[in-house]
Amino acid sequence: MSAKVVAAQECRDLWVSGRGPLLLFCFSVLVSAITYLEATNRTLNFLEQREAVNLTLQVAVAVGVLAALVVSADGISGERERGTLESLLLTPVSRRAIVLGKLAAALTIWFAAFVVTVPYVWVLGRGVSIVVKALVLGFVTGTLIAVGLTAIGLLISAVSGSNKASLAVSLLVLLALFAPTQLPSGLPQGWFFDVLLRLNPVASGLHYISAQLVAGHDWARDLSYLVSPVVVVILAGGALFVAGPRIVRLHGAVSGP
Amino acid sequence: MKTLMVLTGLLLLLAAPAAAADITFDKTRIDAVVGQRFTLETRISNPGAEPAEAVLAHLNLASLTSDVYVDPEDWSSERSQQVDELEPGETTTLTWDVQAVTVGSFSVYAVLLPSAGRGPLVVSPPVQLAVAARQTLSAGGALPIVLVVPVLLGLGAAAVRYRARRTR
Repeated sequence: MSAKVVAAQECRDLWVSGRGPLLLFCFSVLVSAITYLEATNRTLNFLEQREAVNLTLQVAVAVGVLAALVVSADGISGERERGTLESLLLTPVSRRAIVLGKLAAALTIWFAAFVVTVPYVWVLGRGVSIVVKALVLGFVTGTLIAVGLTAIGLLISAVSGSNKASLAVSLLVLLALFAPTQLPSGLPQGWFFDVLLRLNPVASGLHYISAQLVAGHDWARDLSYLVSPVVVVILAGGALFVAGPRIVRLHGAVSGP
Repeated sequence: MKTLMVLTGLLLLLAAPAAAADITFDKTRIDAVVGQRFTLETRISNPGAEPAEAVLAHLNLASLTSDVYVDPEDWSSERSQQVDELEPGETTTLTWDVQAVTVGSFSVYAVLLPSAGRGPLVVSPPVQLAVAARQTLSAGGALPIVLVVPVLLGLGAAAVRYRARRTR
């Protein structure tokens, strides 16, 4: 119950203070630009419609998760630097509830980004009957990735000495996880590449989406690619749940004004 | 001595597996549109009485339109496949994933190359491939969404900011 109270307060801070709507506006400008390019550019338009939907969905998942990670990376270290963590810790709410509430609030950015993506997927995918499939895939896979990475972001934020360090490390983790998705698909892919792909929660999740939308695989055929996103959710979420009460604390040097 | 050498040579020639003699596609013609993916199947058989040696099957593509440039790597990322030794009468099937990249008329064919690097090439009959242009998406269809969504969200963000500043 107390986690709900924290989540509600965090959501108010995020969405009423203006940071959430601004992030969402930037997200929509990016997705609009990509959608317009796909619709008008002759080179990009050679893509099959399913590939256009896949590209937009992948960008939406990547940037939506990035936004959620940025919010979570600021969750504890930001409060600590702004001097508001002390008053939060004095409220009659357990530290575990604080962590869970912040996790839920950070995830609202991803859910909002997904809702914004719906019309773009619809305009690109109508006519080839993949809109519903694409949306379900994007929601399930994106939510798995977002929960795992947001939990990692909060863990980094809790143990970081400064907010800058937390944001920098979180972005570095995200870039490192996204880098393999940019490798040319025509490269020879041996067992080592496959192992790396399956270990990487972001790359394997996006691969699962592509396999369903572009290659037209059955939903159960590539389920093994969702193992690593699920494992990250369990490990990072579990670590946050277990270690949350110990790592959410004031640092001696920055106890606020 | 000469007779012995000729006999030995003949024996060696007979003992060595012969090249696979037959390769055919499952289709003779494909009509596609740009961006479309399709799969071709080749059937490789050994009609001879001797085992056929292992060969390398290679897919290739040639443009029949003079001003259309073709880079086969763009059309298929895996264009070489190993075919193991075939027993007499045995057949095997290979599949090739291809994506139509350019508009035009093309011939797709497969070649069997002896693994030992010598011997004749075996070439399949070509598949005639006609690729038509297609504009799947239009600016007119996407423009309303592309403009309306950011404008609405931008107005919403500005309104939230304005309200937050006034209440401070």
